[in-house]
Amino acid sequence: MNKIKENGWHILLLLICLVLLLPVIFMISNSFKTLRESYHSMLQIIPLHPTLSNYSTLGRQVNLLRLIWNTFFMATIVTLGKLVTGLLAAYAFKYFSFTGKRWLYFIFVSTIFVPFTVIMIPNYLVISKINLLNTALGVALPQLCDATGIMLFLKAMDKIPKSLIESVHIDGIPSYKILKDIVVPILRPSIISIGAIFFINSWNEYVWPTLILKDKSSFTLPLALENYISSEGGTNFPLAMALSTIMIIVPLLIYLIFQRYILNSISSSGLK
Amino acid sequence: MSNKVALELKGVTKKFKKTDVISNMDLKIENGEFLVLLGPSGCGKSTTLRMIAGLEKPSDGQILIDGKDSQTISSVERNIAMVFQDYALYPNMTVYQNLEYALKVHKVKKEERQRRLEKILETLNLKAYRDRLPGQLSGGQKQRVALGRGMAKKSKVFLLDEPLSNIDVQLREKARDEIQSLHEENHQTIVYVTHDQLEAMALGDRIAIINEGKIQMIDTPDNIYNHPANLFVAQFVGTPQINVLEVTYQSEQILFNEHPVLSISKRLKDIGIVPEEKLFLGIRPEHVIVTHEQTNQFALPAQVEQVVDYGRYQQLTLNLGEEQAIKAIITNNDFRAGDLGYFSFIKERTLFFDHVNKNNIEK
Repeated sequence: MNKIKENGWHILLLLICLVLLLPVIFMISNSFKTLRESYHSMLQIIPLHPTLSNYSTLGRQVNLLRLIWNTFFMATIVTLGKLVTGLLAAYAFKYFSFTGKRWLYFIFVSTIFVPFTVIMIPNYLVISKINLLNTALGVALPQLCDATGIMLFLKAMDKIPKSLIESVHIDGIPSYKILKDIVVPILRPSIISIGAIFFINSWNEYVWPTLILKDKSSFTLPLALENYISSEGGTNFPLAMALSTIMIIVPLLIYLIFQRYILNSISSSGLK
Repeated sequence: MSNKVALELKGVTKKFKKTDVISNMDLKIENGEFLVLLGPSGCGKSTTLRMIAGLEKPSDGQILIDGKDSQTISSVERNIAMVFQDYALYPNMTVYQNLEYALKVHKVKKEERQRRLEKILETLNLKAYRDRLPGQLSGGQKQRVALGRGMAKKSKVFLLDEPLSNIDVQLREKARDEIQSLHEENHQTIVYVTHDQLEAMALGDRIAIINEGKIQMIDTPDNIYNHPANLFVAQFVGTPQINVLEVTYQSEQILFNEHPVLSISKRLKDIGIVPEEKLFLGIRPEHVIVTHEQTNQFALPAQVEQVVDYGRYQQLTLNLGEEQAIKAIITNNDFRAGDLGYFSFIKERTLFFDHVNKNNIEK
C-alpha cells in the first residue's frame, strides 16, 4: 500500500519536473532549427534538420563575449554590493542595540513591498542628475542594497548561538573581527546561496538597464535579446532562442558549482 | 594580588520589565576563592553571573572588579573568562585555533601563545585533538576546550555557567575533578553556577544559595548542610530531602501529633523557644534512627511503606498517617515494606525553624 502511494508521488513529481523543464527544452530545441523549420514545426522536440546556423549568425551580428562580460560584470558588482550591505546591516540589527532600531528595520523591510515601477522614475532622475546615465555604475548604484538580503541574513544569523557572540564580547574582540572571523565563516553557505540568488536575478535584469544604458557596447544580454524579439524586421524566433540558450549558461554553471550550498540553505531555512 | 577582594557586588538589583530578578544583592568574593552560585532554575543565578561578565547591566547597584566599577572599564580591563553551558566554541576553527583566537587578537606574542597553549593541551588531555573541529568532538572534549579557552586568557576571574550540565553522567564526575584540580593548581577566582547541589558541595569553597533573586545563605558546604539558615536552604540541599515536621513545644517536650518526640535539652532552652510555640523540626534522613522495638519513650511507631535498596544503604519511607511520611536512611538492610518500625531522632542533629519566617532559630 505504502509502495503504491510512494510511486504515485514520484510520478506526480516527475510530471511537475517535466512541466518545469518543457520551456527550457523548447528553447534549446528551437535554437537548433532554421527559421522556416521553427515556424513549421515549433513543438517538434528533436529538430528534423539540426543546424548551428543560428549560433554562427549570432556570432557575426553581436559581440557575444562582450555581452557576456558586461552582464557578468554588472551582476557581480550588484551581488557583491547587496551581500556586503546586507551583511553589515543585518549584523547591526542583530547584535547592536540602538534607539529607533525597530523602526529602522521596519522601514528597511517595507521597501521590499514598494514595486520597482514606483521608484523607477525617481531613480532615473537621480541617476541623470549625477551624470551616471549610460554607465554601468548608473545601473548598479540603486541596486547595491536590498532589504531582502538583510532579512535573509538576519534569519541566517539566528542559527549562530547567542553565547558564541557573547563569548567573543567578553574576550574583548572588536566587532569587525567578530564579523570577519566568526560570523562570515559560519554563514558562508548562506552567503553563497543568497549571493547566487542575487546574481541570477541581476543577470536577468531587463527594465532598469534598458532605461540607463543607451550605448550598444555596454548592453547586457537581456537588452541584446530584445533586438531579436521585436526588431524592425519582425521577431527572429530561433535566433532569440539561441541567444536565450547562451544566456542561461552562466547562471546554470553558478548553480551547478554552488548547488550543495543552495540546496542546503533552502532545506535548512525551512526545516530547522 | 594587591586587593584581597577580587569581586564585589554592592546592592545589585536587576529588573526585567519591572520585576526584580535580583534584588539588592551584596556579595564579596575573595581572591582565589571558588564560589558556587546554587539555586533552582529561574532563581537569578545565571543573571548574576551574566552581570559580572558584563553581558547584562545591573538596574541598580555596583559591581566592583578588583576594586574598579565594572561599568567604567573595558572588557579587556575587566579581564574575565567565561565558560558557557553550550561551550560557545567557534565551529569554524580547530581546537588549537579556538584556544588561540583571543590571544592572537590581543597580540600576545607567538612564542608565548605556543608555550601557554601547549601546556593547556597537555593538562586537559587534548593534544590528540588539536586539529579537530568542534563538530568532531564529544561533549566532554568540547567542555575541556571551553575550559582551556578560559584558561588561556590567564584572567583573574573565571566564570562558569553550568559547564557540566551537557555531559554524560559518567563523565561528569571526572570533569568535576578536573575543574577542581585546575583550581588547586592555578588559584584563579572562580564563580561557578549550577543547579546541581552535589556539584556545588563537591567544588565550592563557599556556596551562595539563591532563591527568588536573593541570597538565602552564603557559607561553606559543611555549614550549608548542617546549619542551614532557613527552611529553603535545608530543603534545597541534600538527597533525599530533609524531613520537616510541624511540632509544638509543650511542658519541656517537643510534641509531634501530640506525641513527645524529644525532650528539651540545654541547647534548645538556650535558643529561646517559647512554650506553646509552633515550630518546624528538620531532621535529615540519615539522622533518623529506625528500630524494630520501642527502645525509648520518644520512639514513635510507623509502618514502613517503601524500601529502596541502593546497595550501600537503604532508604525507608515511613507512613505517619494523614498523607505524612518521613524518610530514613539505614545501612543494615533489615526492614521490608509493611514492617512496623519505631523511629526517633538523633537529638544533636535536629534543626528548628520559625513557624512564620521559616528561619533557623539558632542562627
